[in-house]
Amino acid sequence: MVEVSGDVGNFTVKVKKNPRYIEMDKCIACGLCAQKCPRKVDDEFNMGLNQRKSAFIKYGQSVPLKYAIDGQSCIYLTRGKCKACEKFCPTSAINFEEKEQIVTLNVGAVILAPGFKPFDPSGFDFYGYGKIRDVVTSLEYERLLSSSGPCMGHLVRPSDRQEPRRIAWIQCVGSRNTNRCDNGYCSSVCCMYAIKEALVTAEHTSGGGLDQAIFYMDIRSHGKEFDRFYEGAKAKGVRFVRARPHSIDPGQDNHGVTLRYTTEDGRMQVEDFDMAVLSIGMEPSADSQGLAGIFNLELDHYRFAKTTDFAPVSTTRPGVFVAGAFQAPKAIPRAVAEASTAACEAAVALMPSRGELTQQKTYPAERSVSADEVRIGVFVCSCGINIAGIVNVDEVTKYARTLPHVVLAENNLFSCSADTQELMAKKISEHRLNRVVIAACTPRTHEPLFQDTLMVSALNPYLVEMANIRNQNSWVHQREPERATAKAKDQVRMAVAKAGLSVPIQRSKVNVVPKALVIGGGMAGMHAALSLADQDFQTVLLEKSDRLGGNGWRVNTTDRGLAVRPYLESVIERVEKHPKIKVLKNAELKTAVGSVGSFVSEVRVDGEERAVTYGVAVIATGGKESRPEEYLYDEDSRVMTHLEFDAVMRDNPAALKKAQSVVFIQCVGSRDERRPYCSRVCCTHSVKAAIALKELNSQMNIYVLNRDIRTYGEREDLYRKARDLGVIFIRYDVDRKPVVRREGDDLAVDVFDPILQMPVSIAADHLVLAAAIEPNVTKDLVELYKCAANADGFLNEAHPKLRPVDMAVDGLFVAGLCNYPKPLNETIAQAKAAAARAATILSQTEMTLDAIKSFVTEKCDGCALCLDVCPYRALQLEDYQGDDSRTHRRITTDPALCKGCGLCAATCPKGGVYVHGFTLDQLKAQVAAALEAA
Amino acid sequence: MSTQPIKLGKQRKSLFKDKVMQLLPDGGNLNACLTCGACASGCPATGLAGMDPRKFLRMASMGLDEEILKTEWVWNCTLCWRCLYVCPMKIDIPQLVYHARKSWPRDERPKGIRASCDMALKHETCSAMGASEEDFRFVVEDVLEEARANQPGWENLEAPINKSGAMYFLNQNSREPVTEPDEMVPLWKILHTVGADWTYATKGWGAENYCMFLADDENWERIVRIKAKAVDDLGCKYWVNTE
Repeated sequence: MVEVSGDVGNFTVKVKKNPRYIEMDKCIACGLCAQKCPRKVDDEFNMGLNQRKSAFIKYGQSVPLKYAIDGQSCIYLTRGKCKACEKFCPTSAINFEEKEQIVTLNVGAVILAPGFKPFDPSGFDFYGYGKIRDVVTSLEYERLLSSSGPCMGHLVRPSDRQEPRRIAWIQCVGSRNTNRCDNGYCSSVCCMYAIKEALVTAEHTSGGGLDQAIFYMDIRSHGKEFDRFYEGAKAKGVRFVRARPHSIDPGQDNHGVTLRYTTEDGRMQVEDFDMAVLSIGMEPSADSQGLAGIFNLELDHYRFAKTTDFAPVSTTRPGVFVAGAFQAPKAIPRAVAEASTAACEAAVALMPSRGELTQQKTYPAERSVSADEVRIGVFVCSCGINIAGIVNVDEVTKYARTLPHVVLAENNLFSCSADTQELMAKKISEHRLNRVVIAACTPRTHEPLFQDTLMVSALNPYLVEMANIRNQNSWVHQREPERATAKAKDQVRMAVAKAGLSVPIQRSKVNVVPKALVIGGGMAGMHAALSLADQDFQTVLLEKSDRLGGNGWRVNTTDRGLAVRPYLESVIERVEKHPKIKVLKNAELKTAVGSVGSFVSEVRVDGEERAVTYGVAVIATGGKESRPEEYLYDEDSRVMTHLEFDAVMRDNPAALKKAQSVVFIQCVGSRDERRPYCSRVCCTHSVKAAIALKELNSQMNIYVLNRDIRTYGEREDLYRKARDLGVIFIRYDVDRKPVVRREGDDLAVDVFDPILQMPVSIAADHLVLAAAIEPNVTKDLVELYKCAANADGFLNEAHPKLRPVDMAVDGLFVAGLCNYPKPLNETIAQAKAAAARAATILSQTEMTLDAIKSFVTEKCDGCALCLDVCPYRALQLEDYQGDDSRTHRRITTDPALCKGCGLCAATCPKGGVYVHGFTLDQLKAQVAAALEAA
Repeated sequence: MSTQPIKLGKQRKSLFKDKVMQLLPDGGNLNACLTCGACASGCPATGLAGMDPRKFLRMASMGLDEEILKTEWVWNCTLCWRCLYVCPMKIDIPQLVYHARKSWPRDERPKGIRASCDMALKHETCSAMGASEEDFRFVVEDVLEEARANQPGWENLEAPINKSGAMYFLNQNSREPVTEPDEMVPLWKILHTVGADWTYATKGWGAENYCMFLADDENWERIVRIKAKAVDDLGCKYWVNTE
């Protein structure tokens, strides 16, 4: 980024494009340039643990997979001689004449996602990083563990390349530290990655004497399913030590390390480890600060992009949004969700020009192949050296020519390159191919590409078959090239056998009802509705009670101290007045039929049923504070929950001002057997409440009894502030919980201080319980939509990282507390993300569905065995009039719901139901081919 | 330590820790403790007298003033700052210890430290071992003469005393001239090798200041002032304290 001018809706952005000296449209990523390049430099992607060449790709999965030349180190570019790459490049892609370019873009909105900089611990001399070889950062360790890393996943320590047995992790290096660095915040991700690294280490190493020890202050496993992961790691033997070593000393003969640390109860321990891993935190990079300067954005006191709790991805400049760790340290699920939030904000900002630049790809009419003899073309891919380095691809190609119906077999360097696609299309028409077999990589990533090539060649896309001779062959049989070649022949023979039986399959289409249903009128539901309506989509908002707002009415402030009530009132007003939003209160969803793009529901509103049709639904049914069953709750009026405390703070702060002593107890009903999850918001809530009380009366004594304080991210500032104000934090163990009792008229709280190893008895005027958050009961909804909830009743996303706001049922999206406990800013971000994802469907007039679906044959006799096994409710039983004019039963399948998993076909004892593209004949042919000898 | 519960809650005790906080910049961050234990892990006095720096601060926070003002551990602490150096919150535990020392009646403070402080007050040399101006001059000249004579290549070694206008005014811990005089020579060699313009002084040469360790503010200051005056009197630009 060089320069930006203009305003939201019309920015002119100047971008400097550095030369890569390799023309992207010519590069086929064969890797020859890197192979021949004589210049080696440290590989920054592997944290300098190994070397790369000057001609390089950053990592094997780079998108686009195109090489570049690093001008800083290239011998030709620095000294004027060499050009080895140019001599060997088979496509003449090297272009040393490329110059830096200034590209001017005209855009309406900008999303900044520059990421973070890993903390550099070199300045912490007491940890010896850079001096003691077996002290590494967590990111270096990540590379050491990675199968694509410098030691191919065979973990070795730097000092002697031996496999380490005993490994120590030291948490909070460069986070929660205002002495040796200025990062007072919690980086929010390190606890979880350390646990993950410890578990992966256990998988990578075997034998006796293994030890993974994590030295920590608080374990902050605050995300969905994180606490289960933490408890699971404990059960698997990962050692969690609540202690902070003072310094790291080199081990004997400069191998490994020695740690001295004091246990919580004051015992000094000395332990040797083979390696120490510093769990480094996240920082905003200098680059991102430069970006902020160019955009004239405000940064917060930690130099992250300044946003507010109510507009969590909006920077201080209208039309410029932020996603990921540049806003605050966060883990992947939130970063991905907030990327959708930013997309939503950009889409709303670009509303007036929506669709103007959309282009539709057109294909020639499909030619019929049913009457033609089967003519198969086989394309065997070398994948550079990925396959050809192990498998003898020439031999496989020759072998393919001998197989039945094969009229052409060829070898390509990279089957997926753009020029090979053109070549394939040419071969298809030249040789009148009507089936194509690609022996290359996985259909998961590459089948759509080859399907597209078939469509360009006027063939049905389901006439292509793939044999995965890379992931399932060359990558796993590196030491046995001959047997790998034999296996590749088997794989090709199987694919050819199956392809011969392929028939064209049609993708069905559904018309999209351009309307959204949002279930739940709390903060999440209202924000989702507003974001959809602001994109001009008709939205129906269902609220089960008689007023909108949900828990928003009961919370006083956001984590950054904004008053919730006035904002809530403004949101309700916007929702109720929005011409595109229809609010139905006292409403209940009774039925749901249909599928993505076209649902119909019966909704009972004020006792009357009405039908709603919609293309997508956002589920935001919320959650609630649970009722504690301990600590004299319900027995003593001085004992209250967070939300009850907030109400007193709101309505009668004078009553609290007089208090001399207030005690908070954390994890009341969370992180126990019944609710084995962290309610995520309570630590911050208690800390905020404690600060508010101290601000009312600085002389008040306040105690927070906790198991770990989980003020993740910038919330750590609040924890620091509370301590500075004199709030006392006392940790308790779950097997030694506090005891609340009445002592005369007084309320007494007994707890054990682990540092002093002494009992403490606190006289309290008020006791505030951090009661767990639980999801509102959504059993009916789960039944109706056949969607999924986890063991704790929270609705599940399709994938926590890749699809964090989509549900597994297409067309359904999720936001807010019904998904997992979260603070208001995250709820708002998630709601807007759900709206963005929903809009991707609503913005289409019709949707094309995948054709790999179940279909019923005439052999079905309606036994209905398959109904029970279908996980998607795609099968129904129906009565029909047979030719014999009697009533028979059979099943029908709903292609919109079916995912083509094949459970029905596998269950059916009589061939009554199959899956397109995987019929019994095809599978049998494959198995038969597998059993033939080559 | 007592097993009786620590009573906390309604009444606000006047905490020793709070008083110390009022004296320190940013209150010494004494409230900011995360109880992480980095201090205790690196403290040479951890475990002595059943105490460590984290525990000491924790007791102060819990208002156990009587115990922390009584524990002899404050004299085990060497005020080395290892705790402060690594503390993520930069908590000034050494100052808390110092103020606890100060609360002891002077005549109950450890005899060794007290006697050294008292001894330093007897001469303007500030030597805690009581070495006089004459003793110091004699030892330095004697050792220098011997080094020049017996160590080839160091015939021109110097150890100036009371050299007016020297760039550096060098202090010397009394232990060397009194018990290990040869130990002074390596430093002279270094200074000679780099060509430093330096001097010892007969007044204020004692580098140690036990009055500081005794938490005797008044005499700590007195000794510092004697030394500072000696530096000024010779017109030296820098005062190098080897302690």
